[in-house]
Amino acid sequence: MSEREAGEPWAFHPDASLQSVLDAPDCPALLRSALTGVYSYQLRTQTTVSRTLRAFQLMPQWIAALLALGASVGLEQEDGVREVPLDRLGRLTSNGDIAALYIPLPDSACRWGEAHVARTPSDEPIVAAFAWVKLRGRLVQAARVALTGVWPEGVRLATSEHALVGEPLTVEQIRALAGRIQDRVEPVGDYRGSEEYRRAMAGAMSRRALKACMEPGGSDA
Amino acid sequence: MPRDQTRTIRLILNGQKRTLRVDPADTLLEALRAASYTSVKYGCGTGDCGACTVLIDGEPTHSCQIRAVEVDGHEVFTVEGLAPFPARRLDDLHPIQSAFAETGAIQCGYCTPAQILTAKALLHRNPDPTRDEIRSALSGVLCRCTGYVKIIQAVERAAALLRDEGVCPFRHAAATLPGDQSLADLLAERNLIAGDWREPRTPLVISPPAMARLVVVGESESKVDGIKLAAGTPAFTDDVRMEGMLYGALLTSPHAHARIRSIDAREAAALEGVHAVLTHEDIPRVKYASGGQSFPQPPPYDQVCLDDKVRHVGDRVAVVAAASPRLARRALRLIEVDYEVLPHVLDAEEARGSDPPVIHDEQDTEGIYDASRNTVHRIEAAEGDRQEQWRRADHIFEREYRTSQQQHAHIEPHACITYWDEDGRLVVRTSTQVPFHIRRMLAPLLGLSEKEIRVIKPRIGGGFGNKQEMILEDLCAHLTIATGRPVRMMYTRHEEFTSSRSRHPTVQRYRVGVTNDMEVVATELDLLGDTGAYGTHGLTVNMVAGQKGLTLYNSPYSAFRCDVVYTNKPTAGAFRGYGAMQTHFGIETLMSEIASEMGWDVVEFKRRNWIKDGELLVMATALGEGREGFEQRIRSNGLAECVRVGLEATQWYEKRRKLNHASAVNATDGCIEPLRRGIGMSLMAHGSGIAGLDMAAATIRMNDDGSFVLLVGAADLGTGSDTILAQIAAEELGVAVDDILVHSSDTDFTPFDKGAYASSTTYVSGNAVRKAAIKAAARIRKHGAAMLGVELRGSRDAGERDGTRQEEVGDVPTTGLEDIELHGGSVRFPDGRRVTLEQIALSSLHQQNQHQIVASASHLSYDSPPPFGAQFVEVAVDTETGQVTVERVLMTVDAGRVINPITASGQVEGGIAQGLGFALCEEMVYDVDGRLLNPRLGPYHVYKADEMPDIDVIFVQTDEPTGPYGAKSVAELPIDGVAPAIADAIHDATGIWLREVPFTPERVWRALRART
Repeated sequence: MSEREAGEPWAFHPDASLQSVLDAPDCPALLRSALTGVYSYQLRTQTTVSRTLRAFQLMPQWIAALLALGASVGLEQEDGVREVPLDRLGRLTSNGDIAALYIPLPDSACRWGEAHVARTPSDEPIVAAFAWVKLRGRLVQAARVALTGVWPEGVRLATSEHALVGEPLTVEQIRALAGRIQDRVEPVGDYRGSEEYRRAMAGAMSRRALKACMEPGGSDA
Repeated sequence: MPRDQTRTIRLILNGQKRTLRVDPADTLLEALRAASYTSVKYGCGTGDCGACTVLIDGEPTHSCQIRAVEVDGHEVFTVEGLAPFPARRLDDLHPIQSAFAETGAIQCGYCTPAQILTAKALLHRNPDPTRDEIRSALSGVLCRCTGYVKIIQAVERAAALLRDEGVCPFRHAAATLPGDQSLADLLAERNLIAGDWREPRTPLVISPPAMARLVVVGESESKVDGIKLAAGTPAFTDDVRMEGMLYGALLTSPHAHARIRSIDAREAAALEGVHAVLTHEDIPRVKYASGGQSFPQPPPYDQVCLDDKVRHVGDRVAVVAAASPRLARRALRLIEVDYEVLPHVLDAEEARGSDPPVIHDEQDTEGIYDASRNTVHRIEAAEGDRQEQWRRADHIFEREYRTSQQQHAHIEPHACITYWDEDGRLVVRTSTQVPFHIRRMLAPLLGLSEKEIRVIKPRIGGGFGNKQEMILEDLCAHLTIATGRPVRMMYTRHEEFTSSRSRHPTVQRYRVGVTNDMEVVATELDLLGDTGAYGTHGLTVNMVAGQKGLTLYNSPYSAFRCDVVYTNKPTAGAFRGYGAMQTHFGIETLMSEIASEMGWDVVEFKRRNWIKDGELLVMATALGEGREGFEQRIRSNGLAECVRVGLEATQWYEKRRKLNHASAVNATDGCIEPLRRGIGMSLMAHGSGIAGLDMAAATIRMNDDGSFVLLVGAADLGTGSDTILAQIAAEELGVAVDDILVHSSDTDFTPFDKGAYASSTTYVSGNAVRKAAIKAAARIRKHGAAMLGVELRGSRDAGERDGTRQEEVGDVPTTGLEDIELHGGSVRFPDGRRVTLEQIALSSLHQQNQHQIVASASHLSYDSPPPFGAQFVEVAVDTETGQVTVERVLMTVDAGRVINPITASGQVEGGIAQGLGFALCEEMVYDVDGRLLNPRLGPYHVYKADEMPDIDVIFVQTDEPTGPYGAKSVAELPIDGVAPAIADAIHDATGIWLREVPFTPERVWRALRART
């Protein structure tokens, strides 16, 4: 991790290991949650940031957490480094070498939540949701929800988070949003969870992750 | 000649500058093992198991996941760098290694180097980690043996040692009940009462007052192989390399069912470095059954080494021997096979339905019950008065239960090395539980006599029944015969899933009749067992399923009807639990269901009906293993005490009241909190060997220095059997365990033993060792008496004291010998004189009445005394997602007298871990074409260190009169009860019964939705 000024996003070298991200003293709790449990010490040590960014399905919870935090990627271009939101990375046809991963610094107005369902506590989740909300007073200034296990490509940022912006973060709002996410996901069933089950869990996990954002504990502040 | 593409890398390896020549394609794992760093193990090749962990620049890394060239210029550390070679004593080891050896953290030892290195990295970062930090750090290394309990304790101990803090000897806690304190006080003192169980504890051993304490037996001795396994010493099959050795590889079927029209192997055979390609056209068609069982093996003999038909995806097609593993795999890709794809059947019900695809249509297999309906066996047995007992029943309950296909997932894959020795005899070095059966089974397949074959069993990296099979030995031997060269074969993890063995899936239909006063009067079990493509253990597993599934409650009328059917799935075989686990799930869940439906206390209902001391096992005679059994009566039964202790330790009744269908209200939004907690229990009974069939022998020989060599054919597959057999010998001979040098097993040098299966080693092999030790002790006493001129009186045979028959002891005059003590390495006479064992050894070998003090004995029992147990499980059920999380498992065990509480509790903890997988996640799943969808340890999912519940083990000792020092078995019992205890706990939490394992979130979710 490079030195950063106050208010600047973190910048990680593409060859940085995920363990080094976790070891960073002020690693956001949302990333800590994503990097422990399912992903082992060995996997974190031997896996570089760039490897995970080139293949989202390799470590989808980590990617989902990054998406929720609004991470972006610096791409080497002929005219220098171009910053691209992480959720656009997979859609770029010619994306160049990854120069850096930028992770916005959560501040005291940011809340986060994570929820997942799995066969066992440290099994790869069947469905996982990572939510991030920035509040101004009682109103939502920005919000993002990323889900794993409910998309053909494994992990994606849910697009309906704008529905919360400008509204107070209430149970009713959360439920409505979770319902819309549940309708929108495109799960592919497998032996760990059918399409029907994954769709239901998309709603439940989104709701839980967002509800966690209502709690004071769901914050790095 | 192909251009040499190897390149040199420079690295710091275990603190020394090294250069290695590597192929750019080599993984670091391959490069290190090629350079003789054999502590680094292959387990999966996909980064799932962690057995290949090394430290790169101080951080743990899966060496199978990076190329050797990537460590050029880096520091690499393996366990070989921790301690000097050879490590002979605990003091020679690094504190982390010694902690592992002392705490019983090592069972098979295959994953131990990886665990130790991971712990080293953790403790370097964090010298005082919390238990959760340890669990998290260790989660990247799978252990299939231990349940991680003692591994975590080892790391805590190592951390304390490295901080220069004092540590106490690691041993069990012992208590006598009834004694000076009450059970409640005892449990409280040991922090075993529920709510107080966050700190790990060593096992508690409760003894009855009449049970005398022994010197070595019953002590928590460190494993005799612990030091070498902690040191990563080359001890496993694949840890040796031989001059000119070739590497075998197996071509397997991509189809579930097909006939091979032709195979063209010319291109593969022509590849430079390929020495042999064998197909069904090259190997004589000799029928056999691959299950390693006593002679004669149960029918049918429905296999040949290589066939012109394949019956499941992963079935054998051809085999290659080449100069390197990579070349062998390349050659496989060049073999062209023309298949006639046949209709296949994956479902057991369909397989025996009308007009199914016939899987065994060959003419030369005899003994299939009905090949046209794929029914390999039909088993029927009944005892008692059917009409009378059903007439007595006031209520009849019928339920269906289903169990899945679980894979053993031992971390060491099947491995075998074959070669011709200097006498022209074929040597088979193999990871097997049954060396003597392998020798007998191999001979006809190879056209050799048994005396021309020698089987050596090195250390085994776990087996759990899967190595009670001939999986690779025949193919490897055929390649050695074809090439004249040493050949090594080792399965990949994928092949372990598709081409070894697994647990028989079952469909169980139970019908139970009960009276209004809680008596179970009639039990019928209709079982459908799925043996997959071949019969192997199909008959015996399913007979045991019937026998055990109808024994625990021993109804006056019991009936068993079973069809064992072929399907086009990978073959099922022996697996810890061996049928009993499947039917324990059925009967235990049904008993709990009946109690719930009738409004009875489940504990009281079971108590009224469980088999009691002195009772005959109703089905034991009708259902042996592959043949008729023998009448058996319960002579020791600690079930009542197991339940009493378990109820107290879990505060059962208080929790059932508190947790039953409990729900809380979320303060934030008034929603119903979906997490509910419940507590459940199950009982279990198993066996100790196969009555009237399992035979073991042992030989004890005295060395010049008064130590002993103990030769046993018993196969320690990580269970610690070598250690407990040494303890038995040491107890009788009056020496310390480290004066007993155990060798197991080599068909040329160790006496016969049926092998390690059926929970037989402690009971059957232990009795053989004890008998041999008694004989040897008598000869030592006699020689000592002669040395001192002591005149021996009378004719009483020393062996009679312990049940050894007169003819087995032979001509040893033992009169008055019982007055002569063997203790502390000396022979002590009543008049106070003593002679050391070393003096006796030197005298007997070199000076006086010169002879070798040596004794052998055999043991066979017509009893198979059941160990008993009770498991208590606490779960949290997320009623919105269906996820079940097990928070605590407490098991109380009656294994007779426990020979070694630490190794025995390790068996219990490991069995519970495997039972958790069976109950909650492990399941081999196929697509419609019969291809396995989860042939990797990750997606299949084996429990990891950081997700294990708290486990407590309490032994409730009984004195089994037929067991060595009162011992019974312990290895299989713990796996039997986990699933039904969890089912009971889920019901307690939610009110739903689950009748199919595993209890995946979706299954629970659907069951909850169906109710509402």
